[in-house]
Amino acid sequence: MFVLRLFHRDMLPPIGSAISRRLSTTLFPLPSAPLPSRREAHVWYIKPEEINDSSSLKQYTDLLSPCEKRGVLSLSGEQLQKNAILARTLVRTTLSRYCDGRVDPRSIKFKKGLYGKPEIMWQDGDNIIKRPLQFSLSHTSSLIACAVALETPLGIDVEENKRKTVNSVISVARRYFTASEVEYLAAIPYPDIQQKEFIHLWTLKEAYVKAIGRGFSGAPFKNFTIQMGSNKRAPKLHIEAGSDCEGLTDNCQFALMELNGSHVVAICMERDRAISDDENNLLSLKVWRTIPLIEDEFISETEALKYICSLS
Amino acid sequence: MASLTGSAVSVSAPVMRRIKATNGASSLNSVSFFGQKRSFSSSARLRISCAAKQETVDKVCEIVRKQLAIPEDTTVTGESKFSELGADSLDTVEIVMGLEESFDISVDENSAQEIATVKDAAEMIDKLIACK
Repeated sequence: MFVLRLFHRDMLPPIGSAISRRLSTTLFPLPSAPLPSRREAHVWYIKPEEINDSSSLKQYTDLLSPCEKRGVLSLSGEQLQKNAILARTLVRTTLSRYCDGRVDPRSIKFKKGLYGKPEIMWQDGDNIIKRPLQFSLSHTSSLIACAVALETPLGIDVEENKRKTVNSVISVARRYFTASEVEYLAAIPYPDIQQKEFIHLWTLKEAYVKAIGRGFSGAPFKNFTIQMGSNKRAPKLHIEAGSDCEGLTDNCQFALMELNGSHVVAICMERDRAISDDENNLLSLKVWRTIPLIEDEFISETEALKYICSLS
Repeated sequence: MASLTGSAVSVSAPVMRRIKATNGASSLNSVSFFGQKRSFSSSARLRISCAAKQETVDKVCEIVRKQLAIPEDTTVTGESKFSELGADSLDTVEIVMGLEESFDISVDENSAQEIATVKDAAEMIDKLIACK
């Protein structure tokens, strides 16, 4: 008997429960999620350590396209392959949630934008809703996250908050960051905090280049500065004068949070030009932990999520 | 982990023997057969100019191993793709920095973008050194 255990979004699963982890035989419809509102980003994340049984991984693999499966097989080692399966599963199942149960996660097709940003390629067909879903994916070995918004381009980057660089933080910053960012980091007297702030800047910059669809090579980090706000205020972006940064917008907002005390998550969302009033233009977030097709846990407003910079 | 259904593994022996892993073992012996596919294009074999020096390839492998903390039993060769070894963007920039320092060269963002494999990096390095 296959049982789909799905927790109500606002419930925490019982701690230490021996949950029977079996996937539903009907892979869809997936539980529908209400669409993100205009200034909202939804984030769904997987902790790979929570998914280890081979039957789940096999079922997830069956969701992937032939091309994705080939991509997985080309990776070196079980861990990378598992995480790649989980990443593709997360993207497909997450997007499917926002389609009123009418889109099978297996059927979603993707294309690449001008600079290689993955986008949904809606097919003509009876049951397809061509929702203008924007999404972004990021992963480290220990966390995989997918952010979704309606219409507004966004980018997400995650990193272990204790991630150490092989080279010194300042040398990496000198090579890739702007002068004011180097100055900001160099002024921090404590190595631990300096390392953390470096990771904050790194993830924010990554989130930005992903939001604008250019990626790291399409928008070199030296072309723009992220100015960290004082007193936990939201960071601001400045385009460097004289940089060859055609099409780089500075009209965007950032969110920076710490997840489970272990990961930094940065989100960048373009601002809505149509709404000039800043009050109505604030970025808000909803975050869920998920084991696709098995359990969802809404974690905004729990201890698991802490804002490093406040949203308002 | 569940074994994945995939096409039969094909490892082109001549390719694997051509480039030795830096740990000294013959790369053919240490190939992992877990669904790993190395595609071998015959046109690559015919390319005479621009082939990277073995010494450069080895040094690049070493820098990549160090940056990505690659376990000894995982093969790193000229054909290895950075993305397939698990490098994220921070790893990639650090690899580029490591290469710049080791070889005393300067890599611009456009060139860095074109490096997908260890061999690409080695070829670019040799070119940059030759132009100095």
